[in-house]
Amino acid sequence: MSKPTVGIFGLTGCAGDQLVILNCEDQLLDLVSLVDIRDFLMASSENQTDSALDIALVEGAVLTARDAATLRAVRKRSKLLVALGTCAVWGGVAAMNRGADSDGDRAELLDQVYGEAGRRFDSLPAQALHELVPVDFNITGCPIEKDHFLAGIAALLNGDLPVYPEYPVCTECRMRENNCLLIERGLPCCGPITAAGCDARCPDLRIPCVGCRGPSAGSNAQSLLEVMEEKGVSRPQVVARLRTFAPGGAS
Amino acid sequence: MSTITIEHLARVEGHGGITVELQGDAVEEVRFDVFEGPRLIEPLLKGRRYDEVAPIVSRICSICSAAHTVTSLKATESAFGIRVSPQTELLRELLFRGESIESHALHIFLLAVPDYLNYPSAIALAADKPAAVLLGLRLKKLGNTMQETVGGRAVHPVNPVLGGFGKAPSLDQLIALRTGLLQAAADSDAVIDLMAGLPAADFCRSETSYAALRSPNLDSYYAGDEVMVASSGNRAIVPAADYRSLTNEETVAHSHAKHSTFRGSPFMVGSLARLTVNPRRLTGKLAVAMKRLKLSLPADNPMDNNKAQAIELVNDVERSLEIIEQLLREGVKDERAMPVNPRAGQGVAITEAPRGLLIHSYKYDAEGRIEAADIITPTALNAASMEQHFRRAVEQSAERDEAALTRRLQMIARAYDPCISCSVHLVRHR
Repeated sequence: MSKPTVGIFGLTGCAGDQLVILNCEDQLLDLVSLVDIRDFLMASSENQTDSALDIALVEGAVLTARDAATLRAVRKRSKLLVALGTCAVWGGVAAMNRGADSDGDRAELLDQVYGEAGRRFDSLPAQALHELVPVDFNITGCPIEKDHFLAGIAALLNGDLPVYPEYPVCTECRMRENNCLLIERGLPCCGPITAAGCDARCPDLRIPCVGCRGPSAGSNAQSLLEVMEEKGVSRPQVVARLRTFAPGGAS
Repeated sequence: MSTITIEHLARVEGHGGITVELQGDAVEEVRFDVFEGPRLIEPLLKGRRYDEVAPIVSRICSICSAAHTVTSLKATESAFGIRVSPQTELLRELLFRGESIESHALHIFLLAVPDYLNYPSAIALAADKPAAVLLGLRLKKLGNTMQETVGGRAVHPVNPVLGGFGKAPSLDQLIALRTGLLQAAADSDAVIDLMAGLPAADFCRSETSYAALRSPNLDSYYAGDEVMVASSGNRAIVPAADYRSLTNEETVAHSHAKHSTFRGSPFMVGSLARLTVNPRRLTGKLAVAMKRLKLSLPADNPMDNNKAQAIELVNDVERSLEIIEQLLREGVKDERAMPVNPRAGQGVAITEAPRGLLIHSYKYDAEGRIEAADIITPTALNAASMEQHFRRAVEQSAERDEAALTRRLQMIARAYDPCISCSVHLVRHR
């Protein structure tokens, strides 16, 4: 059997998910012997930019017309398109004020940072990949977890689709037997409605969850809002927190 | 008129290109084009509470995420008058060193060395020279393990918070790090051997100004209140509060990054600048390594930045071992972060990210909400200098073959180790 062809792409973002791939130091050389990486601009100066791909991994959000064109072209040449990371899945931090950030407001924000020159820029309100093209599956996280990426590739190589936890960070936090930051200390922890998979990294360090992985399946943001308000966290503060990484997910 | 266009720079972080316009043999215009989409992080921070700021600005850039996080915390702490414990200072420096080791190993071995040896990528290089790539991966992994141990995560650290850390690493974790660092110290010679064995890259000579944080002690990265700009014989000091004199940005049409000059001249930041401004630690093993790499300061070849990164890699490993020895000697306390009492005011922090000077400046209202944020990144500071070096390289080349010039320009760009995601997040227009 020939090796599956793979492309790795970054739209607008911090390149953190591509960096996590490069951070698989112990697996990287095995990985490149199992798949045929055709297009990976961050790591290679020779790329086949037109070749058909079995798997396209795309990180970042769509923030420019150029991003949108890249994404559509990648979709066209790929059998499977995987959204990599919170920006690709939910829009991420660049999308945090979306809604408030209508086209008019965006022009104003550009003005604030760049002055008049900002109006010349190619700039769109941030969008997740699925808002423009069909996405076959998501690996969420800001950044993604190394193990999820490797398990995802392993599943695909075996003709399967990976399964990631749908339960919230709270479940993992309980399994680590931590004291509850929200109930016991009144801290604004987003663990109850945030997708697990990080092994409750932050609450385990006594730091409230900021929701960087986006919402868990069937999450009840309204109920969390009420609990936090009872604990004395103001409503605007809770809403701001919930909207930071996944503005579309916490509505 | 002819034009050389590098549509999309490879083996760098982010989206950028290079355009050179030639009129006969004369260079008309040189542009470093940045087309990373503007995420507008600074205006989006407006109104956010002090504890939400660092996790947001960390997302400006993954490779420098520890530097962005800690610099953000320091700026807020300065605004609120918070002093952190000596243990926190040490752990933060260790985190910076870990990030620097990861970033330099990634850049040297995975992004830059393939250029010198004519390979398109480290993956291709690994097929012929696995030892070199494995050495790089081992060092890179160590840098990541350091960031995981201290920062809680290799990319976008979660453990550093205002006033300290969520939890300090355990003694066992530090002892494990020491083992990895001792291995890396043993690998130091191999790093210098590899770099010393690369073909010379000498196609861009130019007198260059350098700017770096001036360190009050021998160790520059993390602490310091003033920047030194050094150019042939002249040395100017810029106090942190006057950082704007370094960033006389102009917005240019071709780029989402702005260009910085000091008194009208471009300057370079990063490894080479740090060694030039703080040469005092360059003794013993490091002096020998400098000699082997034929690196003398101040350098007039931007490609020497790769050599300077190798020197720093060796130094970072040594200094990290010193920090760990000190922590093990003094014991690690299970400290809680210092209390935070927000107040209205301004705070500025300047540090050295792996790619050079990083400046965060925030203005807070009395409730601790951001009124204005100003973030200046190394790649933005470097943009003007990079363009100047592109121009010199083309002017100094007898070669007009497009493929050869293209290769040289890409090598210069990569020697700067640009981080284009960072470069977009710039300064408010004045």
